[in-house]
Formats: sequence, C-alpha cells, structure tokens
Amino acid sequence: MKTEIVASGNQLIAKFSGRLDTAAAVQTIEDVKPLLEASNKEIILDCSALEYISSSGLRIFLSIRKEASAHGSKVIVRHINNDIRQVFMMTGFVSLFVIE
Amino acid sequence: MDLHSEMILAEYEAKQPVYKRLESIVQRTLEDALARNGILVTAVGTRIKTPDSLAGKLALKGSKYASLSDITDILGARIITFYTDDVDRIAAMAEQLFEIDWHNSVDKRKLHQIDSFGYNSLHYICSLPKSLVDDEHCPELNTIRFELQLRTTLQHAWASINHDIGYKTGVEIPRDYLRRINRLAGILEMADDEFSRIRAEITDYRRRVQNLVRKGKLDDVQLDGDAFNSYLQARPFDELNKRIASITQAEIQEVPLTRYLKVFMALGCNTLGDVQRLVKRYEEDAYRLARHQLGATDIDIVSSAVGVLNICIVCVLSSGGGKIGLKRLFEHINGHNSENEAIAELTFELAKNLDYGSN
Repeated sequence: MKTEIVASGNQLIAKFSGRLDTAAAVQTIEDVKPLLEASNKEIILDCSALEYISSSGLRIFLSIRKEASAHGSKVIVRHINNDIRQVFMMTGFVSLFVIE
Repeated sequence: MDLHSEMILAEYEAKQPVYKRLESIVQRTLEDALARNGILVTAVGTRIKTPDSLAGKLALKGSKYASLSDITDILGARIITFYTDDVDRIAAMAEQLFEIDWHNSVDKRKLHQIDSFGYNSLHYICSLPKSLVDDEHCPELNTIRFELQLRTTLQHAWASINHDIGYKTGVEIPRDYLRRINRLAGILEMADDEFSRIRAEITDYRRRVQNLVRKGKLDDVQLDGDAFNSYLQARPFDELNKRIASITQAEIQEVPLTRYLKVFMALGCNTLGDVQRLVKRYEEDAYRLARHQLGATDIDIVSSAVGVLNICIVCVLSSGGGKIGLKRLFEHINGHNSENEAIAELTFELAKNLDYGSN
C-alpha cells in the first residue's frame, strides 16, 4: 500500500495505490496527516490505483472528511473501482462523500 | 484649537494604552456573552475614536466637556443584529454585563413622534464593573465610560447611508431629499417588524410541527425541511440501522440525513404520514437487501444513512424504476455527477435478484 500526496494550486491530491486494509492502515494514517491539517483546501482522494478498502480504510476516509470539514476543506473521492463502490454503497457512505 | 481642547487631546493620547486594553476586554466580553446566550448577530465591532475625529468634536463643542472622562464615546462598541427583538435581548444582556449610566443612555427608537421616522438605535453608556475586571494597577478600566450601540442590520444600513448622504458631502441637503430619506426609515422600520414577525411565526410553526410529530399525527404535517427535521429527531431509522449493523456487528457512524427529504419528495411523499408509510412498507425488504450485501463481508462500520438508503433503493426497484430510477435516486442524494450511473448500475445488479415481498 502506498500513499502519495501532491499539492496542486488549492488542491491536495492523495494518490492511493494497493490495498487499504487493516495492516496498511497504521502507515496510511501517518501518510495522510498533511490532509488532516490542511485548511480551506480541496482534498482529492484519488483511488485510481486503490484495489481494495477495508473498514479501517473507511475510517481513515471518515477522519479525513471530519477534519476537512472542521478546517473548511472539501473532500472529493475520485475514480473508485467497482469493489470500492460497492463498499461505499452497502455501508451508506455513498451519501456522505462526494464521489466522482 | 484652544488650550482646553489641546489638554483634552493630550490626555487622550496619554491614555491610549488604557483605551486599547478596555477595547479588547469589551469586544471579548460581548462576543463571549452573545455566544453563551446563543444570539447570532451580523457584526460585533469596537473602535477607538481617531485623533482627527476627537479634534473635530472638540472644535464643535469642546466647552461642553470639562475633561476627557466627560466624553463617553472615545471607545465605541456596536452590535448589529438581524432582528429588532434581538436589540432588546442584547440590551438586557448588556445590563447584566456592564454598569449602565442611565442618565446618559438613550433609546433613540423611542424618541420619535408618532409621525416621524429616522435614526433608530439604542445607545448605552457603560463602564466595566469590578466583577468583570479588577486591576489595582489600572483602576481606570472601571471608570472610563464607553458607548454601546445596538441596532438592526436595516437600521445600520439606513444610518450609514444617511450619514454618507447627509454629512460627507458637507452640503446642506434640500428638505425634499431629507424627507425621502426619512420615508425610507419608515419603510425599513416596517421591514424590521415584518422580519421579526416572520421569525416568530416560523418558530411557532416549528413548535406546532414538533407537537404533531410527537403526537404521531403525521398525516397532518406537510413534508418540508422543518417537518422532516422534526421527523428525524424521532430517529425513525434507528431500529433498522441497528438490525443492519448487527449483521456484521458493525458500529454505526452518524451522518446527516437531511438530503433524503428531496428523495422522499421525489418518491411522491406529500406528508410525514406518507414518509412513515413508505418506511414501514419497505423496511423489511431494506433489511434483506442490506443482509444480502453485507452478510458475506467483514465490514464493521456502516453509516446511519444505511437504513434509509436501502429503503429508498427497495422502493425504487419495487416500483419498477430500474436502473434509471436508481440513477435518479442517487442524483437526489449526491447531486448530478458521472458516478451516479455506475453506482446505480452496481446497485441494480446487486439487488435485482431479491424477491421483494412487499411489492
């Protein structure tokens, strides 16, 4: 699992690749810290290369959204595959995140 | 400038640090008190009179003041409210916070004759009580008076424009123009009263809706934002959410459900009674759909939208809405975006083989 954060104008783009499961969650929490501290940004969670997300991964996405909301930032989830789409749908988080 | 005015100006310069400290205390005290009392306002501001402004005042009526302490608006604070009622609420709040110099305070709203309109504002001349600040090294914090102005947004707009037109030009305004400006003050007074009345009626409407929801008279409540919020306060999806969460022993993450108002409206609900019937009709199938999806997973977190989302999905599919109906459903929930079609497609594939008993 790899997380790369790229700043571009007013955007912070987090590019996830691999499997965001329980084992990868601890490192990912560290990797996304810059997103949690960002104010008034558009935070893009780019999931083009993300193969799988577990409950731990969902919790990380939720934390990012919660902190973003508190800091005036907006979170957009992009390019999810069908498996991840299904996770968002069956958990009801499809109506919490902006998914593009 | 005469010697007397020069002495007052010199005293003013010397006391700048005290005024700045006083300004900071007043600003903070007002902001804290407004937050504590839950009063939303347009603005809370303070300012210290500039040397030029004070010099101008002294040039006009310097002999009226024996010393700097006689000038009560060196520090001015202003709160601009949304509603006229709030001016009185904040006045009551200020009376508890500060010592009020009643002799010099004035409610300009009450000075008008029955046939006159114009400047409306409440001016309190205040000082800080020792209960608020008690600094033996700076006793003047308790003796210096400051002016607190309270007015509505509309009163402020009128006063600002009147000041701009009437004073800045430095030219005497013809009577006809003054009359037109004052006529506007009358219109704004009516608008202020109407805003307050609307707020009071909305509050009353919300109470009535809450009462009807509490009594279960849902058919009597038209479906709108207030009604739906009252309905949500009764937590109508909790039981279903708990059942769904128990499928995988999941925790339930609270999320806002207000966007489902649009969905229920689109599904043909006109009253809360319609919503309740739809929920009851489809909740068992919604649970089955959730079990079908979650049962084979180890996902141990769901959102509090999971129940209502599944109810809406089942409703659409049971009504023959198909993929297009699901896409519309997700558009109501998420707004228009390209992802809705993919989510609708996936949902349709996952749910199409379930036999909806309630259909």
